[in-house]
Amino acid sequence: MDIFSNIAIGLETALSWNNLFYCFLGVFLGTLVGVIPGIGVLSAISMLFPITFYLDPTTALIMLAGIWYGTSYGGNTASILLNIPGTPANAVTCLDGYPMARQGRGGVALLMTTVASFTGSTIGILLLMLFAPTIAKYALSFGSAEYFALMVLGLVAASTISDGSAVKGLAMVVLGIMFGTVGADIYTGTPRFSFGVLELTDAISLIALAMGIFGVAEVIASVRNVHPGDIDRESVTFRAMKPTKDDMRRSWFPMLRGSSIGAFFGTLPGTGPSVAAFMAYAMEKRVAREPKRFGKGAIEGIMAPESANNSADQTSFIPTLSLGIPGSPTMALMLGALMIHGIAPGPSLMTDQPSLFWGLIMSFWIGNVLLVILNVPLIGVWVRLLMIPYHLLFPAVLMFICIGTYSVNNSSFEVWLVVFFGFLGYSMRIFDFPAAPLLLGFVLGPMMEEHFRRAMLLSRGNFSTFIDRPISAVVMALTAMLLVWGVWSALKQRKRSRANLAPDPAGAS
Amino acid sequence: MLSRDYRDIVGGGLLIVGGLLFTWYAATHYELGTLRRMGPGMFPTGLGVTLALFGVLMAVPAFFRQGEMPVIRIWTPLFVLAGVAAFAMTIRPFGLIPAILAVVVISSFAELKVRPVSLAILCIVLCLIAWLTFRVGLGLPIAMWRWPF
Repeated sequence: MDIFSNIAIGLETALSWNNLFYCFLGVFLGTLVGVIPGIGVLSAISMLFPITFYLDPTTALIMLAGIWYGTSYGGNTASILLNIPGTPANAVTCLDGYPMARQGRGGVALLMTTVASFTGSTIGILLLMLFAPTIAKYALSFGSAEYFALMVLGLVAASTISDGSAVKGLAMVVLGIMFGTVGADIYTGTPRFSFGVLELTDAISLIALAMGIFGVAEVIASVRNVHPGDIDRESVTFRAMKPTKDDMRRSWFPMLRGSSIGAFFGTLPGTGPSVAAFMAYAMEKRVAREPKRFGKGAIEGIMAPESANNSADQTSFIPTLSLGIPGSPTMALMLGALMIHGIAPGPSLMTDQPSLFWGLIMSFWIGNVLLVILNVPLIGVWVRLLMIPYHLLFPAVLMFICIGTYSVNNSSFEVWLVVFFGFLGYSMRIFDFPAAPLLLGFVLGPMMEEHFRRAMLLSRGNFSTFIDRPISAVVMALTAMLLVWGVWSALKQRKRSRANLAPDPAGAS
Repeated sequence: MLSRDYRDIVGGGLLIVGGLLFTWYAATHYELGTLRRMGPGMFPTGLGVTLALFGVLMAVPAFFRQGEMPVIRIWTPLFVLAGVAAFAMTIRPFGLIPAILAVVVISSFAELKVRPVSLAILCIVLCLIAWLTFRVGLGLPIAMWRWPF
């Protein structure tokens, strides 16, 4: 069988000492970042991004991926013990995790969410191994029209499915694409929007943009808002972690349902772990025999979302690795790491770089086992970390952001860009504009423009090329459906909020 | 509670202005080309118009609903951004250690509370961490100290 030889190649790569070390470093940092509220996975990955220049591309990707799925493990600690989501993907876990901690069952919750995370990841990785090669085989026949259609679908999905207003999300996608147009034009070489600044003819640095919009803006919003809380230390001892038989019995199906929901939303471009966790929770509440138990410490309410977000973490690599289209900003950064090393992401990645592809996947197994070790016996260490006051933490974060950005090109201009994007990111928070679609648009923008112009060139300026080709037509139809759905649900929501406002006009919180 | 959703009105307005400025700049400075063979200006021109359209879609319904006043902080973002800017200004002429001190000291004012002892300890620890990871560990070619005069 082909797959066994692939697994062998992968294991050989993943088990080298160097890769093992960086895999450990990645999941360790991921847990760290996940545990501490106020530092997101994106800022963590962008802070460490410059280090990857000095690494082999496979090793770099193994480390970045470790941070990505590691945060989902670490993120539930703060959710359960403090009622503060460590990362957005763990927000739903607060609903039932914190009540469990109040009831003295915090230890059980921490242990069981680790089990759920591991199960979700396992299922996600298996699906990734099965589907990514098949999709890549089909994708080899894609032309520019198909790629353009897929990217539009991804961007529309990212802005309509995620929470908040679809119009704002779409507007941010467009703004991101605009920032992506800065720099030399691909076909003519004309420097666009450089305003005579030499550094800008070379495109805006992805790292400066990500660090400003996510890192700096997050620090600004968290200073004086994040407080270390009181934690019941008794609840995190080993003895307090033992689940009852009833807990075990109740956990099986939520875990499996959560994993499948997560796997589905992970592969969809634009959705990812946060949406997956939310959907899994909603689903559990719907199928439960006693929905009233939810919100009061029901174990189903933590198992389903925690398995869903981990499963989504893994399956989000399917579009990224098989099509070269990132479904989330984090995936976009990972593709960025590949491109910096001169590796073109796309369907041929698997055949051109089998040791990179399979090595990365095998490192997921290793990373997940390491995470279980890091999260169960060492939970006490992480809990103590939660007590570090934020006023010591944020200057350190800013320092890493500054050094990280500067060291990429030894250019202080890029640090100035961080100031600009930090300001933009904070302003966007004031206007309630989501930041993730902007980054996604920024990364996909140049690729979109290239494929759009090439498709138009091939079709002699005829727009119908996007609906004449069958695959592109299907994707375009899906995009249209999503847009209609987005508009419809926005209208429904407004009607509902109006209905809520009417009887109690003073009820604004 | 505001009588209109001014946040979305202003936000949408900014999108409209930004989109139109972008379109104007692209259309006047770069060649548009034809649909078949697009010039460098065509795609950005379309983008600007699209952004302005979204701005209209956002601002118009906001006139017909109530809104809430967002919380706007002034000093916190100012100190944080000033810290990063100070790093950008000092790193070239003075080297890494002074730049770290600049970003750490200035940004910690964002707390609006000064803790001299813990700040001093933080500065020492962070300089040490930076020296160990970036110079000793990764061997980045960044000068630690520099005297430009």
